[in-house]
Amino acid sequence: MAKDQSIQRGKRATIKKSFQRNWQLYLFMMPVFLYFFIFHYIPMYGVQIAFKDYFATLGIWGSEWVGFEHFERFFSSYYFWRLLKNTIILNLYMLVLFPLPIILALAFNELRNGAFKKWTQTLTYAPHFISVVVVVGMLVAFLDPNTGLINHLLRALGIDSIPFLTSPDWFRHIFVWSGQWQTLGWSTIIYLAALAGVNPELHEAAKVDGATRMQRIFRINIPSIMPTIVILFILNIGNFMQIGFEKVLLMQNTLNSETSDVIQTFVYETGILEGQYSFAAAVGLFESAINIVLLITVNQIARKVSENSLW
Amino acid sequence: MSKFSLSDKAFDRLNFLFVLLITIIIIYPLIFVISASISDPHAVNTGKMWLWPVDVTFEGFQRVFQNDAIWIGYKNTILYTVVGVIVHLFVLLPAAYALSRKELMGKKAWLWFILFTMLFNGGLIPTYLVVRNLQMLDTMWAIVIPGVVGAWSILVARTFFQQTIPDQLVEAAKIDGASDIYLFFKVVLPLSMPIIAVMALFHGVALWNQYFNALIYLRTEDKFPLQLILRQILILNEVSADSASSAAGSAQSFADQIKTASLVKYAVIIVSALPLLIVYPFLQRFFVKGVLIGSVKE
Amino acid sequence: MLKKLFFLIATLAFVSALYACGNDDGGDSDSKKGDAASSGDVNAEGFPIVDEDLELTFFANKPAQNEGNDWNDILIWNEYRDLTNVDVNWNLVSPDALEENRNLALGSGDLPDAFFLAQLTNTDLLRYGSQGSFLALNDLIDEYAPNLKELMENDPTIEKAITFPDGNIYSMPALIEEDFLSLRLSARPWINEDWLKELDMDIPETTGDFYEYLKAVKELDPVGNGDTIPYGGTAIIELVQWLSGSFGVMNHGPSNTNLDLDPNDDSKVRYYATTDEYKEMMEYINMLYEEGLIDQSIFTIEWGQFLANASDNLYGSMIFYDPIELFGEEIGSQYNSVAALEGPDGHQSYNKLSSSVWDPANLVISSDNPNPEATVRWMDYFYGDEGAELYYMGVEGETFEVEDGEAVYSDHILNPEGDMTFEQAIAQDLTWLGSISGIIKEDYFQGGETAPQSLEAAEKIQPQVIDEVWPRFTFTDEENRILQSTGEDINKYVEEMRDKFITGDEDLDGWDNYVQTIEQMGMEELLEVYQAAYDRYQSN
Repeated sequence: MAKDQSIQRGKRATIKKSFQRNWQLYLFMMPVFLYFFIFHYIPMYGVQIAFKDYFATLGIWGSEWVGFEHFERFFSSYYFWRLLKNTIILNLYMLVLFPLPIILALAFNELRNGAFKKWTQTLTYAPHFISVVVVVGMLVAFLDPNTGLINHLLRALGIDSIPFLTSPDWFRHIFVWSGQWQTLGWSTIIYLAALAGVNPELHEAAKVDGATRMQRIFRINIPSIMPTIVILFILNIGNFMQIGFEKVLLMQNTLNSETSDVIQTFVYETGILEGQYSFAAAVGLFESAINIVLLITVNQIARKVSENSLW
Repeated sequence: MSKFSLSDKAFDRLNFLFVLLITIIIIYPLIFVISASISDPHAVNTGKMWLWPVDVTFEGFQRVFQNDAIWIGYKNTILYTVVGVIVHLFVLLPAAYALSRKELMGKKAWLWFILFTMLFNGGLIPTYLVVRNLQMLDTMWAIVIPGVVGAWSILVARTFFQQTIPDQLVEAAKIDGASDIYLFFKVVLPLSMPIIAVMALFHGVALWNQYFNALIYLRTEDKFPLQLILRQILILNEVSADSASSAAGSAQSFADQIKTASLVKYAVIIVSALPLLIVYPFLQRFFVKGVLIGSVKE
Repeated sequence: MLKKLFFLIATLAFVSALYACGNDDGGDSDSKKGDAASSGDVNAEGFPIVDEDLELTFFANKPAQNEGNDWNDILIWNEYRDLTNVDVNWNLVSPDALEENRNLALGSGDLPDAFFLAQLTNTDLLRYGSQGSFLALNDLIDEYAPNLKELMENDPTIEKAITFPDGNIYSMPALIEEDFLSLRLSARPWINEDWLKELDMDIPETTGDFYEYLKAVKELDPVGNGDTIPYGGTAIIELVQWLSGSFGVMNHGPSNTNLDLDPNDDSKVRYYATTDEYKEMMEYINMLYEEGLIDQSIFTIEWGQFLANASDNLYGSMIFYDPIELFGEEIGSQYNSVAALEGPDGHQSYNKLSSSVWDPANLVISSDNPNPEATVRWMDYFYGDEGAELYYMGVEGETFEVEDGEAVYSDHILNPEGDMTFEQAIAQDLTWLGSISGIIKEDYFQGGETAPQSLEAAEKIQPQVIDEVWPRFTFTDEENRILQSTGEDINKYVEEMRDKFITGDEDLDGWDNYVQTIEQMGMEELLEVYQAAYDRYQSN
């Protein structure tokens, strides 16, 4: 008993000592702590509207509890499985392309010609600034069954024109690849910055050992930016269920909704447009729950496979 | 030795071609937007314009620049972006650094405290009430403070610090009696220019493009950021353009609005994105320089 | 010591922030309930409405067409303020964030005095009305809204459309004069007469004729290169709704999705998307589509592209607004209007027109309003001739002149200077663009719908128009619940399948399967809801 106490006391003493030595670190955490507390944790009580029948004038606290009614309604919707399936497939598809910006960043990094490097980087990053509305407008112009360039080409080759925009089979490809088209260059930036942090001495040493460029990429560059890759991957998973819904909505039509109908657009149509905030909140909570499970799982795997993980 | 250099040369060529190819693919939308901005909208709408400008006209740009509100919007957006980025870095960097240090106790709790905000949020109304109660409505701070930092940036920046700041360096400095504050400013920051540049860029671009907070929190038109003004020039409701077709009595005005929109749509993109495109090459420099400064110091 | 002090301050900061924030939500609105404004001073009739200046805050949607104008300082509202002594402080919200801002206004305790065209749905009206945030207006309308009252007596539909199952009226509606058919028709069918002549054909009168014409146009290919589009439009639904009169469905107008009256039993509503008539219509449209007679991009086309195509004169027929006004004299004048086509079973009526109740929630008065009487009177003016004139035409001598007893916009609006368009010129002084309010009357309205070509079309269509067009029914809270779940699901499924049947993505052989699926989704329950709403509608 006495021993326990003394251990505890000892522990407490160490904590105190550690705190005294490193109090500035806690000071560093203060702004973030304050910000999250005030702007995220205080409003967190709003989550309860998922379990209530939200009336604006009654306020969040004053609205009536309805338990899991909104969840039940979502799960029992005719479209629930389709929505879930589409959301997951679309996300998996995007996840598969996760390595693309890494490859491009590695390639950029190896470029010797400074001007070329600068130009290509700037040019590839620029499409990020084109608004989604315009990107979809371009897709429509491009893929139009009558006037679109692609279908002109197909017809010239003697192939029947393809209704890309109304075909459920094409939707995912068009959505995902046009997204890559737009954000590939932008996504390389973070990896380029990571590559800039690679210790040049490692490369010098490898050169002396006679390693080729390829070998150096695989033995030095990739391992050096691995922590960044892993963290970005895990964080990506943390947003797994969320899809940029504006673009889906713009690309969606009754004919392709078999594959294009995702949870976000469903919530927009049946929740937001109709002012059913509680329903929307319930679905949002459902997504968060899935995300949290995925996040923990992936982090666990990452910790086993590599030394890098979030916690 | 010669064998290696030869294959290095081949690698260089292949790599050059690879990047060139990707750039050509990606450059297409850019050329499209630029060409469309100075083409007759009719040609754009009917798919006749697909690469180079057709029936060149500068009316789109003229229309955009005739609008006085645009200049006010520009001024506001620059102000919000600059202030926003400074506050962002001030909040983000110390925390990311602290989280990267082993000495920080309760690391897991801190991480969850931060991660949790990425997964759950209380929604618009409670956040609005906080902003209102802090007397921020209709001020710059309503744009700058909510969303000043996100879990994503903190965790990515922390990884960078872990990766680039060697523990030995910190320990050595501490033994020399340096405080964390001194260490942070004199050693860590100079070594971290790439991440600072990236974070500033990411947050700056997000601020530059964002309009939703402005829609909710700002009332006075003089305070509207550029994006809000641009959205007003374009059709406000592109997503639900179809529903407007039922607005009897105003089909004309709607059609008219569409014509204006297709005229200025692309010019607007260029006008709003150009400053960011110009900034990028300057930031790019830090991706390389940061490391050089760091290694010189060591 | 420093650190301790620091933490102390930090902790205090949270606690106070927490206190400040946790405390208010809900609390504010509570204090407001109940003190529903005491009867303020109001003059029973005539102007001014109030003797002493009354300031009211209105929450309003500001449509895109009003870009750049400020309702707080614009001819029409300045004029009306001077007339009434009611000074409206417009809280204008762009449509982008209308939902959110409206909810914030309702939820943050800062209720405006009234919501003006804020797109409140019937569901919202009932919820917030029965809860006390919106005032019930039955008595106020009786007493202070003689113009609206008169309209309601002449057209019982109005009262039915705005009365909820609890017997209350929570809003003053935006109306279209019943006889102003041209406006109620919205987009209407047009056919290229030059091409008809070239083909030596008459204006189609049956669905068969129409098919022949489209086919002939495709073969003739007047545009060349196979670019001619026999039928085009901005959305397939326009065509479906027009043809529904030829196949005997949607016999009470489009306001209630897929719902009409059972032709065999006029006490029963019918969900017509599962009927044989509907199937027959699908077969017809499917035939048109598969033969390439309907624009293959009709499911994705945007207005911009449609307008561009039309001005290239690609369309053999279309459903749209006034061609001359929109595409100019040269192309527009080639078009002549078509009325309803006679279908294979002899059905021939024109079913595609809106109810005279355009929007039930033109003005909604909140419980915070200090003077509901004056507010009702303020709105009621716009249901009369003078008000309609003020709202849609403006002030005589400034925005319009009277020529031969007819109001005509002034020259500076009709022929604006410089780059300005007609609409932009209107928006400088008036606010009706995109905001139909009060009552819209043919005599006091100048736009595409009163252009000669459109009026002629309306006249032609007139004899075929169905007798009764239902407004959107009103439902109880419980019914709304079913509509929002089962109803949404079924309607969505029907819409998806409709388009798939049309394109042939889904074979019409699978019809039985389709009907079965709908039944499994809960058709019976949905129909009960509709039936109940209809019974109430009839007995009101």
